[in-house]
Amino acid sequence: MDAFLEGLKHSSTTVQALGISAIGLAGVFITLASFFAIIWLAVKAGGKKA
Amino acid sequence: MDGLLIGFTSVSWQQGVMYLVGAALIILAVTKEYEPMLLLPIGFGAILVNLPLSVVWEHEGAAGFLKVLYDGGISNELFPILIFIAVGAMIDFGPLFKNPFMIFFGAAAQLGIFATMLIATLPPFNFSLKEAASIGIIGAADGPTAIYVASKFARDMLGPISVAAYSYMALVPLIQPPVIRLLTTHKERCIHMEYHEAGVPRWLKIAFPIVVTMIAGFVAPISVPLVGSLMFGNLVRESGVLERLSQTAQNELAYLVTLLLGITIGSSMRADRFLNVQTLMILGMGLVAFVFDTAGGVLFAKLVNLFLPKDRKVNPMIGACGISAFPMSARVVQKMAASEERGNIILMHAIGSNVSGQLGSIVAGGMVLALVPLLVG
Repeated sequence: MDAFLEGLKHSSTTVQALGISAIGLAGVFITLASFFAIIWLAVKAGGKKA
Repeated sequence: MDGLLIGFTSVSWQQGVMYLVGAALIILAVTKEYEPMLLLPIGFGAILVNLPLSVVWEHEGAAGFLKVLYDGGISNELFPILIFIAVGAMIDFGPLFKNPFMIFFGAAAQLGIFATMLIATLPPFNFSLKEAASIGIIGAADGPTAIYVASKFARDMLGPISVAAYSYMALVPLIQPPVIRLLTTHKERCIHMEYHEAGVPRWLKIAFPIVVTMIAGFVAPISVPLVGSLMFGNLVRESGVLERLSQTAQNELAYLVTLLLGITIGSSMRADRFLNVQTLMILGMGLVAFVFDTAGGVLFAKLVNLFLPKDRKVNPMIGACGISAFPMSARVVQKMAASEERGNIILMHAIGSNVSGQLGSIVAGGMVLALVPLLVG
């Protein structure tokens, strides 16, 4: 990842934007997927209803 | 005598145009009720700051009241943070807990942020990376996030970015339906989705804001002010023991900060900074961001449908609700579903997706805040 970011630092602004878009969108999906896992496991585990 | 007439002699035609811009925002707020709580104060602020000598901003070396508000609420990002506490107290994640898969539409519909950021760096726009990121964040469809990111990366663009963000949020009922219709068939828009009432443990509602804040803190520490304030407001709501504080956050805090935020944003619309080609480009790209957001959500839903059994397919319009404009987007999609086929109710799924968009937008904002400085300092 460090090498990838280092490479981006020396790229054009558009390539930098492309890199941030790819990492950023993937990051959003991964972060929300972790939220999904938490909710899914919690609901599956059950417990006292609200 | 010249001193007495200085108000008339020092006004420029550019300031005259800004009075019209301010008046147009006020008219939209009053007659069309487009985000009136923000567009009206923004419009009036734009008129105030462009009056001769701009005394409300600065006069004879002393800061005017709008500059005091700007320094105390926008420069240090305090107003957006306070708004987030209020918004957090208003959000009910219940529909998301009952349909957790909807959270992925909240991720897909952030496409507009990144696509627009990319477009903004291309000729003829040629914005710098920080400026492009600030323009792209209009696609968060989330005013406070747009203000927060723009105030960090491109303070000079704060006025047009805020106006674009709030204006397009108000125009969601006009922007989303044509994009959805373009990308879906009538048959797809008529897909019914069953809704199962699932029990949600109370501890989950309380633990969720804490866990989300911690995850955000580890993934993108710079996003903690955004995520943390939103989740603090939500924790106050869900704790069940701070009802008065929750109501205060949802009402008094929200209204008071919104009042000051709007007029302060308006004060950033000084004619010498606002009236240029750049503003037109920002307004144009804000629209592009909303279109890509909608397309991203819808296309992701169609992609998901390729892998789902016939009786469990999702109505792809749900994907469009993954933007943060809550609850307007969910309402728009439910209205479309009902007009395509009478009795087709997808509102709860739409709300789940829409709530996810609020999470998605702040996470995306956090990603932008974390990544851009790694490349350009």
